[in-house]
Amino acid sequence: MTISSLTQLNALTGGLFLLSTFGIIAMRQVLGCLKMFILQSVFLAISALLLGYLHLSIHLFAVAAITLMVKPVLIPYLLRQTVGSEVTARREISQLINIPTSLLIAVGLTILSYFVAKPLLSVSGAAGTVTDVNLPIGIACLLLGAYTVTVRREAMPQIIGILTMENGAFFAGISIAPDLPLIAELSAAFDVLVIALVMGILTRKIHERIGSTTVSDLKTLKEV
Amino acid sequence: MISKIFFNLLQVIVVMAFSPLVKGILSRLEAMVQSKRGPGILQPYRDIWKLLHKEEVVSEQTSWIFRFTPYVVFVTPIFVTLLIPVLTNYPLFFAFMGDMLGGGFILALGGFFATIAAIDTGNPYGPMGASRTRMVGFLAEPVFMIVFFTVSFVAGSTIPYIVQEAWVTPLSNFFEPSHVLVMLAFFMLIIAEAGRLPVDNPSGHFELAMIDESKTLEYSGRGAALMKWGSAMKFFVLLCIFLNVLVSPWGLARGEGLLEVFIAVPLVLIKIFVFILFLVIIESSIAKLRLFRIPEFLGAAFITSIAAMIMYFF
Amino acid sequence: MGLLFILVIPLAAAAFSLVHADRRFAPAITIAGALAVLILALKTAFMVIKTGEIVAIADWVSCNSLSALILLLVAFVALTSAVFSWGYIEGHTGSDRVKKMQRYYSRFNLFVFSMLAVVLFSQLALVWVAVELTTLMSVFLVSFENTRQALEAAWKYVVLTCMGAAFALIGILLLYWAMKSAGGKTFTWEELTTVSQGINPGILKTAFIFILVGFGTKVGLVPMHTWLPDAHSQAPSPVCALLSGVETTTILYVILRLLPVLEVSPSIHSGEWFLVSGLVSVGAAAFLLIQVKDYKRLFAFSTVEHMGIIMVAVGLGGPAAHLGATYQILSHSITKSLCFFAAGSTLLIAGTREISSVRGLIRTSPIAGGAFLIGGLAIAGAPPFAVFLSEFSILRAGIAGGHYIAITLLGIFILMAFAAVMFHVNRMVFGMPPEDAVRTVLPKTVVISLTMALVPVIVLGLYIPDSLYELLRLAAASLGR
Repeated sequence: MTISSLTQLNALTGGLFLLSTFGIIAMRQVLGCLKMFILQSVFLAISALLLGYLHLSIHLFAVAAITLMVKPVLIPYLLRQTVGSEVTARREISQLINIPTSLLIAVGLTILSYFVAKPLLSVSGAAGTVTDVNLPIGIACLLLGAYTVTVRREAMPQIIGILTMENGAFFAGISIAPDLPLIAELSAAFDVLVIALVMGILTRKIHERIGSTTVSDLKTLKEV
Repeated sequence: MISKIFFNLLQVIVVMAFSPLVKGILSRLEAMVQSKRGPGILQPYRDIWKLLHKEEVVSEQTSWIFRFTPYVVFVTPIFVTLLIPVLTNYPLFFAFMGDMLGGGFILALGGFFATIAAIDTGNPYGPMGASRTRMVGFLAEPVFMIVFFTVSFVAGSTIPYIVQEAWVTPLSNFFEPSHVLVMLAFFMLIIAEAGRLPVDNPSGHFELAMIDESKTLEYSGRGAALMKWGSAMKFFVLLCIFLNVLVSPWGLARGEGLLEVFIAVPLVLIKIFVFILFLVIIESSIAKLRLFRIPEFLGAAFITSIAAMIMYFF
Repeated sequence: MGLLFILVIPLAAAAFSLVHADRRFAPAITIAGALAVLILALKTAFMVIKTGEIVAIADWVSCNSLSALILLLVAFVALTSAVFSWGYIEGHTGSDRVKKMQRYYSRFNLFVFSMLAVVLFSQLALVWVAVELTTLMSVFLVSFENTRQALEAAWKYVVLTCMGAAFALIGILLLYWAMKSAGGKTFTWEELTTVSQGINPGILKTAFIFILVGFGTKVGLVPMHTWLPDAHSQAPSPVCALLSGVETTTILYVILRLLPVLEVSPSIHSGEWFLVSGLVSVGAAAFLLIQVKDYKRLFAFSTVEHMGIIMVAVGLGGPAAHLGATYQILSHSITKSLCFFAAGSTLLIAGTREISSVRGLIRTSPIAGGAFLIGGLAIAGAPPFAVFLSEFSILRAGIAGGHYIAITLLGIFILMAFAAVMFHVNRMVFGMPPEDAVRTVLPKTVVISLTMALVPVIVLGLYIPDSLYELLRLAAASLGR
């Protein structure tokens, strides 16, 4: 495959990655969110694979393999195990801002992230390469994840939002930092796993103690 | 020149002749997926034939709009057929008359008449369906616009014949992210416009839940036949725009030979058939959305089209 | 090799804490581990003063003067709060108390490990992982009491700091990108400083802002501080001492180590960023301190204030202000841990966190009351305690540098905070105790750790040993170029 077609395939993966991030915002069901997250992680792995092929880097292949193992498989499994089916199977997620408005805000955030990334691309001389796609979409995904955490009221989607943020950072990372030491890469993957585990267990504790996982109703601690 | 006029007329004939077949195949496939036998694939033809031979009853309360509408609904897709590539990948005789935006307006005219005719009857279900159709229409409009803008920015033109080539030359353009996203957005748009699941259930017979069907409830005889046929043709035309212009011009006749154009007919039908298979799989795996969730569905389509535009511009 | 032992000992202690044994075993092993770490940290600090940066594994584990300072503080607070835990945690466990205690000490050690790892790792990617681990390892310490409020605090803590960490991650990756294009090879602090001349200021600035927002969330800078008073008030007091006393400064250390890189390109205006974010934090904290109803929250907001003061000091720039910043880090850590021990003792006696229901503490329990009074005076910045000296040196450095507006604001905010803290502390310590108040005897270990924490607070205000001063000076020097 030629470089241009690889770049193009990567751009397509990036587009679908972004779309699946929008999907996380648009989904009402917890399980739907989780499925979108799985899809997103798979696209992350595919992009790592394509970039690995492009740079002929074993290292990125390893990253793709780690990603594929941890994010779409282990994390959903862990979340289901720790949180319990009662929470994951919840159908409707309540959120502060309704979904169409959320989507519009999401578009605004995406455009914003392109504006953040654009000067960086031009000063670094990376314009026209795969970074062109990965950096702005990564930042966009980071912001969209942060947005998800902010507006969703349930615990599970908030966890997914945080994992989405990490995914966004990694998506940018595979193009701007493709040769980080493998130990760092491994420990970062481990770290994400621990996030899912810790937050999952905490969610279950909240559920056991309070009987609901609508974490935004937890408002006893505040000033005055 | 003569051949171009002939081919243009041939396009119209193909659309008129095969659009009920497409509907028939679609409903048969749906029945099969649901483990039912379902009507034969020629059932829409029989329906239209039967209705054409029945007496038409028109309420005394209605105005001329009610009687005039079936003809508008019937004729508008035919006009659009003259403009778009159905069989050939080069412009035919009447294609100079309008671009994609023009086609969109003509189709919208049919929709407009159907809506006011539904209000004209005084039947309570008609206006209800009409208002819902308008709601879907209003929400679909921005998506259509963005898709249209993206497409014309990419191709540098609004003429469908130029646009269709832009996506496949070179072939890797087909996998351009903005192209894939535009296809996705337009696909969602077709679902909304043609009243398929999950926006509307075309096989539902419960008036309160109808969106598209309730507008034709009052028609009988020839009017009903024309409305039915017209909507089948509209569906066919939308599919042609989607498959031939937005997806790819594969299967269209490239030369001006008679044989080549005739071969294009089955090729295009096969393309549509493949798409219908795809549609049936999707439709049978999802449930109808509640009415107030439809904005979310179209919002998703809007986001997809915006994403396509962003991806193209930056 | 000493550095590696510092990392291994808490891990080993975490593992041993889970061993089924006598209920005294887990706290004992934790205290022993913390003591060993403190001794090693002292040794490291002396070596750093003598020979400069120590490298245990090239490009991976190393320790410079600033790390040594934080290392020392973490080790010290870890030891005192391990001792404090002994008597405190036993009173707070339910029926399955041995198991719960074992888990507590295991997590306690892991948390200490993660903080030590932040300062000892020199590979930035691993530093990020370690920072994230400090959150993840302390979440269940925050939710230890398993009440509705504790769980709420833990949730806010983990969600907000993880969000921050994700922002910081992209900042660190951008930093890596900038370093690579400047010709750097390994992603270490040292290499970053070496190539800092060639780093593109545009990318560096974006990276810096992402890191400031991301890690600033963990440090508790306003407006990302909202989790801090909750988590720092709901956790058990020994954990609060760690969270408030050293975790915040540990994360702040990561931001501070970027300083030499940032100062290369004046177009970033890093000083202004530090100054403004610091002043905003100090100001907001000063106002929030006035209206607190909970004395643990009082100290939590005081942490926000102190972090802000350090940020301002760093933003002022120059050796004198930097020395003030490192001194402030030192005085904050030792004083704040004392404050939370005093608050914990008060909680043991009064059984409530409300300021309004505690009266005449000095009569009910002279030890707790006295510690509370000294802690409150010290943290508010009354002379002759360490915080007074450090704040004073910062103000002086600022005036000498000609930053009059910033210093005026800082001075006003510090005075407001002082008045607010003293008002609340005064109400609690003096006055007549409620009728039904009983004189409770504090557990022995609590008294021991109070004394241990009290000694440096008093001593350092009057006299700084030469070697410690040298360490502070070296740490301050490492902040500038």
